[in-house]
Amino acid sequence: MKKVSIALAVVVVIALGYSGWLYTGHNATSFASGSTVALEDYKAANPTGVPAELADKDLVTRGEYLSHAADCQACHTEPGGTPFAGGFAFNMPFGTIYSTNITPDKETGIGNYTDAQFLNAVHKGVRANGENLYPAMPYTSYTLMTDGDALAIKAYLFSLAPVSSPAKVSNLKWPFNQRGMLPLWNVMFNSGERFRPNTGQSPEWNRGAYLAEAMGHCGECHTPRNVAYAVNNHRKFAGTLTAGWHAYNITGDKESGIGDWDEASLFSYLHTGHAEGHGGAAGPMGEASDNSLTFLTEGDIHALVTYVRSVPARNSDLPEKVKTPASASHKEGDAVAGLDGVRGEKIFAGACMSCHEWTGVSPVTHYATLTNVRAVNDPSGTNVAQTVVNGVDRQTPQGRIYMPAFGEGYSDDDIAAVSNYVTARFGAKGATLTGKDVADLRNQASQKKAATKEAPNG
Amino acid sequence: MIHISVNGQMQMIEDGVDPKTPLLWVLRDHLNLVGTKYGCGVAMCGACTVHVDGKPVRSCQLTVGDVGTKAVTTIEGVGKTPIGAKVQAAWVEANVPQCGYCQAGQIMSAAALLSHTPNPDDSDIDAAMAGNICRCGTYIRIRRAIKNAGAKSV
Repeated sequence: MKKVSIALAVVVVIALGYSGWLYTGHNATSFASGSTVALEDYKAANPTGVPAELADKDLVTRGEYLSHAADCQACHTEPGGTPFAGGFAFNMPFGTIYSTNITPDKETGIGNYTDAQFLNAVHKGVRANGENLYPAMPYTSYTLMTDGDALAIKAYLFSLAPVSSPAKVSNLKWPFNQRGMLPLWNVMFNSGERFRPNTGQSPEWNRGAYLAEAMGHCGECHTPRNVAYAVNNHRKFAGTLTAGWHAYNITGDKESGIGDWDEASLFSYLHTGHAEGHGGAAGPMGEASDNSLTFLTEGDIHALVTYVRSVPARNSDLPEKVKTPASASHKEGDAVAGLDGVRGEKIFAGACMSCHEWTGVSPVTHYATLTNVRAVNDPSGTNVAQTVVNGVDRQTPQGRIYMPAFGEGYSDDDIAAVSNYVTARFGAKGATLTGKDVADLRNQASQKKAATKEAPNG
Repeated sequence: MIHISVNGQMQMIEDGVDPKTPLLWVLRDHLNLVGTKYGCGVAMCGACTVHVDGKPVRSCQLTVGDVGTKAVTTIEGVGKTPIGAKVQAAWVEANVPQCGYCQAGQIMSAAALLSHTPNPDDSDIDAAMAGNICRCGTYIRIRRAIKNAGAKSV
C-alpha cells in the first residue's frame, strides 16, 4: 500500500512538474534578463503603435500599417481570393480548419462586431457568438497587443469593402473538434496579458519584442509546439515543421541557426525577403515577407533584428551549411548513387540547370543561387521539395522573384529524385525523400480538399 | 539610361525602359535583334538563350537592369567568335534545323558547351543541352553537329 502511495505521489509530482513546464513555456519573452513593467509605467520610447513617421496619420492608415505588422492578410486570404475574405486552409495532423472572413460584411464577416467583441477575438480567442476560436488564430500572441492597436486594425478592416464569403466547415478529428475544451487550454497557454516592456533592455529591443511577439507572431511558425500543440518557448525560435514547410531555426546558433548571419544580411532578409549569399524567402515565409515585413519601416526592421538576435542560441540538428559552390562539371561532386541519382541528375539538367548552373551559383540572378542556402542544407529536403512543387512567385519592391512551379508537370518520384540530388550536390547532406514523402508534403501545404490525382502523363 | 554591351557594342537603352524588363524583350523590341526567340517565358524551353560573359543564360529571366557591365552575345553575334563560327558551320553541314524556332537557343547552348569542353561526350552534351527543347525532335542531328564541331576544334 505504501509503495502504491509513493508511486502515486511520484506520478503526481511528475505530472505537476510537467504541467508546470508546459505552462512556463507560454511566456515568449521570459528568456530576457531585466524586469518588466506595465506599459503605462514604461518611461522610454513607446514600443507599441505605429513608428514615429506615421504617428500623425489618420486611424485607418495607422491600422493598415499595424494590420501589415500583424500579418492578418496571409492567413485570412485564400490563394487567389479577395484579401481578408478568409478560406485559407490549415492542414494539421488532426484535421483541417479554415480562416474566416474579416471584411466588414454583416452576414458572413465581422461587420456587426463591437469594439469589445473584436478585442475579445483578438486577445482571448472568443468570437462574437461566444464560441472559442481555435488557436490557429494566434490570439496567444495577439493578446499582447494594446487595445488601441487592435482597434486601429479594426478601423482599417472596417474601411474595406464588405465581401460575402461564408465560413468553410472545419474538419477536425475527436477530441480536437470539441471547442468546449478550449477554455481549459487557454488557462494553460494564453496569458491574457498585454505587452509588458522590459526595463533592462533597450527601447529598440522592446519595439522589436512587441513587433515580433504581439504583432508578427514569428514564434507561431518558428517555435516548436508541445504535446498540447501550444508554442513551447523552452525551445523558442528553434525551428519546426509548419504547414508542410520547415520554418527554420532563427536563434543565434552558429551551425543550425542564424548565428553566422551578419546584421546587414538579417536586415536585408527581413526587409526584402532576400539576403545575398543566404537565399530568399519562399513558401509561407515568402508570404510573410510580401504581406507583412516588406511594409515595415527600416526602423522597425532594425528593431526586429535587435530582438531576434537577442534570443538564446539553440541547436536544432541541422548541419553547418556548405559555403562553397559545387564543381562546374556535372561529372564531379557529391551526387546520389544509383538509378534515383541518374533520374535526379537528368531532371536537374533539363529543368533546373539553366538558371541554377552545375555549380549552384546562378548566372541569371543571385536569387537563384543555391550555395549556402538553408533549405538546400537541410537533409530532410522538405523545403527544396516544396519549392520545386510550388515554385516561387513573389512581387517585391525590388521586382518579381520567380521560379516555375514544377508540381503539376513532374511526378512525386521525380520531385523526390531531384530534391535528393540538389541537397546532395549543393548542400551538406543528401535527402532521402521518396515519392510518398513528396505526396505527404503536397497534402500538408495544399489549399485543396484532397490531393488531385496525377495526370497519366504527369 | 541603361547601357549594356551586346555583341561587342555598347548600346544605350532609351529612357522609360523599366530595369525589370527581361533582357529578351530589350533585345527584340528595342535593339531589333530578333534572332533570339521567345518560347515559354519561364526558363523551361531554352529558346531565348544568350551568352552573358560567355555563359548560357535564359534571357527571359534575366532583367536588363541586372546585366550591368557583363558582355551579352546573341545569335547575331556568336558567328564572329571562332567557336560560334564552327558551330554554325557544323549546323549547316548536318542540316540540323527543321522548323528552326529553337535553333538560335540550341546554337548558343552548344557554343557555350564547346567553349569549356572542346570534345564533349554524350553525357556532357546531355548535361548542357537538356534544357533546350526541340518540338521537331532534331536532337540526333544536334548531337551529331556538336560532335563534328568539337572534332574540328582539336
